[in-house]
Amino acid sequence: MSTDPQPPLTAAETPGGTGPLDAFLHALRRRTEAAPHPTPLPDRSNAALRAVRPAEELAARFAAEATAAGCVVHRVTEANWLAAAKDIVGSLSARLVLVQPQPGTALTAERAAALADALATAGRSAVSKWDDDTLFNCDAAVTGVVAAIAETGTLVCVSGPAAARGASLIPPVHIALLDRTQIVGDLFDYFDRLANTGSPANINLITGPSKTADIEGILITGVHGPGVVHVLLLE
Amino acid sequence: MDVALFITCLSDTFYPRAGDAIVRVLRHFGCRVHFPAGQTCCGQPAFNSGFHRAAAVLIRRMATVFEPFTHVVTPSASCAAMVKQHGPPLLADDPGAHAASVRLAEKTWEFCTFLRDRLNVDIAAHLQAREPVTFHYPCHARSIYGLDDLRAWLSRLDVRPPARTDLCCGFGGLFAVEFPELSAAMLGDKLDELAATGARLVICNESACTLQMAGGAHRRGLPLRFKHLAELLAESLGLMEAAA
Amino acid sequence: MSRTGDLRARIAAATTDRRVVNAVHLAAWRKVDARAESFAKLPHVEALRDKAAQIRQHVIENLPRYLECFVERATALGAQVHFAPDGAAACRTIAQIAAARGLSLAVKGKSMTSEEIGLNVALEATGVRVVETDLGEFIVQIDHDRPSHIITPIIHKDRRQVARAMAREFGCPYTEDPAELTKIARRHLRDIFRRCDLGITGVNLGVAETGTLCLITNEGNGRMTITRPRVHVALLGIDKIVPRLTDLPIFLKLLARSSTGQPMGAYTTLINGPKRPDDPDGPGELHVVLLDNGRSDILTGPLREVLRCVRCGACLNACPAYRNIGGHAYSSVYPGPIGSLLSPLLYGHAYDDLARVSSLCGACRLACPVQIDIPELLVRLRALACTRQPRAKRVLLRLWQWAMQTPWAYRLGQRLMRFLPDDGGGWTRHGPGLLRAWTDTRDLPCPAVRSFRSIWENELRDEH
Repeated sequence: MSTDPQPPLTAAETPGGTGPLDAFLHALRRRTEAAPHPTPLPDRSNAALRAVRPAEELAARFAAEATAAGCVVHRVTEANWLAAAKDIVGSLSARLVLVQPQPGTALTAERAAALADALATAGRSAVSKWDDDTLFNCDAAVTGVVAAIAETGTLVCVSGPAAARGASLIPPVHIALLDRTQIVGDLFDYFDRLANTGSPANINLITGPSKTADIEGILITGVHGPGVVHVLLLE
Repeated sequence: MDVALFITCLSDTFYPRAGDAIVRVLRHFGCRVHFPAGQTCCGQPAFNSGFHRAAAVLIRRMATVFEPFTHVVTPSASCAAMVKQHGPPLLADDPGAHAASVRLAEKTWEFCTFLRDRLNVDIAAHLQAREPVTFHYPCHARSIYGLDDLRAWLSRLDVRPPARTDLCCGFGGLFAVEFPELSAAMLGDKLDELAATGARLVICNESACTLQMAGGAHRRGLPLRFKHLAELLAESLGLMEAAA
Repeated sequence: MSRTGDLRARIAAATTDRRVVNAVHLAAWRKVDARAESFAKLPHVEALRDKAAQIRQHVIENLPRYLECFVERATALGAQVHFAPDGAAACRTIAQIAAARGLSLAVKGKSMTSEEIGLNVALEATGVRVVETDLGEFIVQIDHDRPSHIITPIIHKDRRQVARAMAREFGCPYTEDPAELTKIARRHLRDIFRRCDLGITGVNLGVAETGTLCLITNEGNGRMTITRPRVHVALLGIDKIVPRLTDLPIFLKLLARSSTGQPMGAYTTLINGPKRPDDPDGPGELHVVLLDNGRSDILTGPLREVLRCVRCGACLNACPAYRNIGGHAYSSVYPGPIGSLLSPLLYGHAYDDLARVSSLCGACRLACPVQIDIPELLVRLRALACTRQPRAKRVLLRLWQWAMQTPWAYRLGQRLMRFLPDDGGGWTRHGPGLLRAWTDTRDLPCPAVRSFRSIWENELRDEH
C-alpha cells in the first residue's frame, strides 16, 4: 500500500465544486448522459403493497410477530405493569438495572421513578446513567420505544438527549415498555411517518434478540446485543 | 393443419423415438407433418457459450429452412426458447434476416404447448402409464411452459414428484464438458432426488437433460428410464408399442 | 487465475472436498427453504420485487443526480463525505483519518466492500489493529481464512474447525457447542468494544433525499461498531443508493427474507449524521467514503443491471454450482452467480471465465429480489469475452458451425459418431479424446441405430 501523504478527499473541503468528488460527479454525468434512461421512478406510495390490513388488530399482530422473532411479550395494564417488570427483573436475578426514561416514549420520568422505587424495595439497584461501567456491568436495561411495527414485531428505539444507544444494545437483557397506541401496522406506515418528521441521529429497528447462524446455520441468540428482549405491552 | 417438425440435433441423433412419437401424435390429431431435411441445429450451444456470431449464422439458416411453413413444432422447449427469444436479437443488424427470424420465432411451438394451445388437446386426459412416474422440469423451459404446466399434464398419472421439483440436472451445454466434475456433481444431486422418489420412469422433455441424467444414472447403476412426454402420449393413444 | 485450465482444476478439486460440499449444501438448502417459507407469508411479493427492481434500475440510470443529492444531504447532517476512485484510494483515505486522529484499534462490521478493497491488510500496515466483529468474519480472521459467502462467511466450515480455531487462539477449553463458541467470541470482543476508537462498516443502502445510511445486522456487532468508537467510517459503493426514505421499507421487506428467511434482520439501523451534541453516546465523527473502484465503468457499460444488486446472497444459496464447490473455488471476494458477473467487471479479464461456471439454470434469477437476469448477463459477458477463449476451442467451434451449416457434413458427423465404442448395452464408458470430458463422469449413449431423419425417410414420410 502506498503511503503517499495525500489529504483526505472531503466534499466539505471543496467548496465551489472543484474537489475530486465534484470532478467525479461531473465526469459521471457526462459519461452517462448519452446512455438511455428508460426507467421511471415508481410512485412514492406503497399503499398497494401493504402486508398489514388497516383493520387488523395491531396489538395482537405485534405480539404474535414479536414472539415469533424471539421476544417475550407481556400484555400488561397501567395497574400491573410495575409488578410485571419487577417479576422479570426478579426472574433474572439481576442486581444492577439501567432505567432510561425518554420523552416521547411510554417510559416517562414518573414511571421510571416508580420503577426505580419498586426495584429498590426488592433489593435491586436501579441507575439512570450512561457511563461505560454501567452499560457493560448492568444486568438489564429498561427503556421506552418511540414506535413499534405490528407487521414484523419490531421495536423502534432512537437516540436523543436522554437516550443512550448502548442501553438497548450492551446489557444482556433489554426490557422495553410499549404503549399499544404506539403500534403502527405496516413497515410502510412507520417510514411514511418518519419521512414527515425530523430524524434523530440514530434510529434502531429492533426485531427480536441479537442472533447469529454463522456456525453450521444453527441459530444462537445473544451474540453482542441482548440475548433476551422482554416487551411490556401496555393496554 | 400443416406442421413442420424441428427435431433438434440431439433428438435426431440420440432420441429419434421422441420425434417418431411427435409425428404420430400430430397426425392422430389431424395435422399434416413435414420434415425439412435441411435442418440441423438452432445454434443454442454456441449462443449459451457466448459465440454469438456462430449462433447468428445458424439461426439465420433455420429461418430459411423453415420459411415455407406456417407452424414449426419441436420436442425441446430450450430450442424453442432459442428460436423465439434469443434468435431475432442476434440478427438485429440485418433487417431482412431479422424479419425472417421474427417470423420463425412467431410460428415456432414447443410440442406440448402446441397440443394444448393450438390443437386444444387435453393432454392429461389422454396420458396413461402402467407404473408410477416422476419428472424432470427443464430449467430452460421457463419461458415456454412452467412447472405447473408440466404437473398439470401429468396430473392423472401416479406422479411421485422429486422433493426439489426444479433442480437443474447440471447439463448446461458446453458447461457439461468445460467443467465436467462440477456438472457431474450437480447431476449427482439431481439423480439423488429422482432416485428417492421410488419411481423408475422419468418424464423429461429435453433430450439434453436426458443425455445427462441417463448417462449419470447408467454410470451409477440406477434403474431409471427416461421418456419424452410425446412418447408416453403416443403409447397411451395406441400409436406406438410401449418401449421397455 | 488467467487460464480456464486453472479454474477447471480448482473447481474439480472443490467438488471432491466432501466436508466443504456437505457443509455448504446443508447451510445453503436451509437458507433456500427459509427464504421460500418467509416469502410464502408475505403478500404482494412479485409486486414488491417489481418495484424494488424498478427503483434500483432507475437509480443506476440516473446515478449522478442521486449521488449529488446524497452527498449534499449527508454533509448537511454533519457527515464528512470522501470520494475514492479505487480501492487503494479508499484505504489511504481511511488510514489518514485514523492517523490524523491517533486511532489505533478499529472494529469492523461485516462488509464485502471492505473485503473488495483489502482494507484490513492496508490498515494493519499503517499500525492500526483491525478486529472483525461479525462472528463469521471473526472466525475467518483468527483462522487466517477467507470468507466463502457474502452473507455467511464461514458457510464452508463445520463446528469442529471453528472449535479448533477458538481453542488455539484463546487457549480456552475445546468445545464444539455453537452456543459456547459464540460465548467465547462474545467475551473476547466485549473487551475490544470497550476500548476501540474507530468503527468501520459497509452500508446496505444510502438514501439520497435524506443522506441517511441504512445498516442491517443480526448479531449486534454492527451496532456496537457504530456506537462505541468515537469515529465511524462507512464505506459506501457509489451504486448503493435509493432515492427516498419511503423506498427503504421495500428493500427491508425483501432483503432479510432473501438472505436468511427472517422477516427483518434483528437490527436495522438508520444513521443520520454523527452523534448530536446532547446525545450520551455514539461517534462524534461520521465519515462516508464513497467508493467507485470500477463501478462507474460498469454503469456506462453493457451490463449495468448488475449494479442493482443489494448483496443479499440469495443467488449463492440458490445456485447448484455454488452448492457443489463453495465460494473459495471462485477465487474472488464475490463468489456465486452474482460474483461471476461482478468479478470480471471489477477485477478484469483474468476473471472472465467465471461467467462460464454456470449451467444457466436460472435459479439465481428467480431468487434475486431485484430481478437481475443473471443468466442473461452471464451469456452477455461470455459473448464479450469469446474472442479471448482458447484458440483450440474457437477452432473447434468454427468446425462445428461449418458442419451445422452443411447438411451433408452434419449427416456425416452423425454417422461417424456410430464408431464410438460400445462398451456394453449401447453405452460408451470410455470416450476417446475430447469425449473423455463427458465419459470420465458419465456414460454416453451410443447414437441411435437410425437417426430420426433416416426413420423419417424410410418409414414416416409416406405413412399418412
